[in-house]
Amino acid sequence: MAIFNAKNRVIECKIVYYGPGRGGKTTNLEYIFKAFRKQTTGEMVSIDTKGDRTLFFDFLPMGIGKIRGCDVSIQLYTVPGQVKYGSTRKMVLKGVDGIVFVADSLEVRRTDNLFSLKDLQQNLAEQNMSIFEVPLVLQYNKRDLAEEGIPLIPVETMDGGLNKKLKVPSYPASALKGTGVGATLKECLKLTLRNLQQELKWAR
Amino acid sequence: MSDQHHIRSLVKEAEIYRGQGLFVASREKYLHILQFIENNKRLCNDKKLVNTVKNKIVNLENDVAGLHQETAVPELSQDVQGLIKKLFSFSEDQGAAAMEGAVALAKFGQYEAALAEFQRLLEEGTFPLMAAKNILRCHLALSSPNVAIDQFGQWVSGNLLSKEYLKHTRAFLANVLEKRGIKTELPEVAQTSSVADQKDEQEDVLDISSVRVQLENGPDKGSVVEFDVSFQSGNIISVIVSARQKDLADTFSLGIRLPDIQFYSPIAIFRGSGIVSGKTKIKSGPKRGDYMLDIKIEGA
Repeated sequence: MAIFNAKNRVIECKIVYYGPGRGGKTTNLEYIFKAFRKQTTGEMVSIDTKGDRTLFFDFLPMGIGKIRGCDVSIQLYTVPGQVKYGSTRKMVLKGVDGIVFVADSLEVRRTDNLFSLKDLQQNLAEQNMSIFEVPLVLQYNKRDLAEEGIPLIPVETMDGGLNKKLKVPSYPASALKGTGVGATLKECLKLTLRNLQQELKWAR
Repeated sequence: MSDQHHIRSLVKEAEIYRGQGLFVASREKYLHILQFIENNKRLCNDKKLVNTVKNKIVNLENDVAGLHQETAVPELSQDVQGLIKKLFSFSEDQGAAAMEGAVALAKFGQYEAALAEFQRLLEEGTFPLMAAKNILRCHLALSSPNVAIDQFGQWVSGNLLSKEYLKHTRAFLANVLEKRGIKTELPEVAQTSSVADQKDEQEDVLDISSVRVQLENGPDKGSVVEFDVSFQSGNIISVIVSARQKDLADTFSLGIRLPDIQFYSPIAIFRGSGIVSGKTKIKSGPKRGDYMLDIKIEGA
């Protein structure tokens, strides 16, 4: 739920990175923190267990300057992907304005992607939101592993499997190398701010 | 491709999965390698190779088992706890926001910090019933049912909670203890009124599990329908009306008052009224096409 301070012309929105465990959500945020240092307004907070699995969430605050007369600040979150942390995912998703779904391109993760997307749909429905209406971008991560000869799901197949009904923008990416990370975030921000403009009429 | 080359390629794949924390996929790959070796006349007698692969599989099985173990929740720094409180409180009302922050701390396993917050809220008289129940929840989560029981005893002999709140709190604690198989006699709530009885300005709403609503209009006027509560936020409950019962859903137009509702909670049944404050057609998911009704409980 974005906060719009009409008096000070400040809008604050929340973007959540969702997806199966070990899919690269935290790596996305780490890359953003490193590559967009000027835009970050605080340290990245990461709460993980040994083995680097996200236990609660990652958090990164950013300020992207003035857009149409309004100071825009964004809060980036990741959810823990492991199935057992369902209640934490619901909590982090509360008040979300835009979502990046980070799908794992590895052939062996095909069903994990589908389960996670279904989980997202259900958790959104629980807060009276529709996956078909929320600003959403798909990211097909780990494309770099093709160079290692690891079997990946072709981008077209991923689009056919995950995005057939959603029909949202999708980006092949390598969060580790940074490829596609900025483009994904930028697109999600664009959709989110456009959606919030319809809702809050924040832009001049 | 030679057999050695094939195995090397499979091992590389398995190791990449392992490096990514995908232990199940890695184990599957090593099982595949083992099967390949055992079916290969030239390689099946290479005990060193077979044992190496078997050891890898055992290690990965341990890693997989580790994933299913409960992870100990770390005690976070005060800064991070403060951040959690800030990030997960959404209400504009200060008291409600403080309660949301404290609940978030508890949900993230920061029970000691949450306890301190709930105690503060209780002493301030902010949502006292909710604060009291959460204090007990925290004690129970910290595996201290005796502390929870002692705490309840202190409330009974003090004046922080009104008689009504004490009764609710007692029923709540008794229910939780019973579920855990703990048999104990909780202190009885005295019938005399305490100071806190006079400040019952904000009765907290119980957790409601289902409702029975008497229909006041429509073709089935006078009949009673029952709904399970799918979601509750304070004094607003949400129920689902099936798409197949469109006539019934039409009966509940937005803003309509429902003067006769029976509310069922795990600890009490009470009668009251409500207003249909929201009505949405679910557009996705397994309940697609059904209607979600929000009912605001009056006087809560």
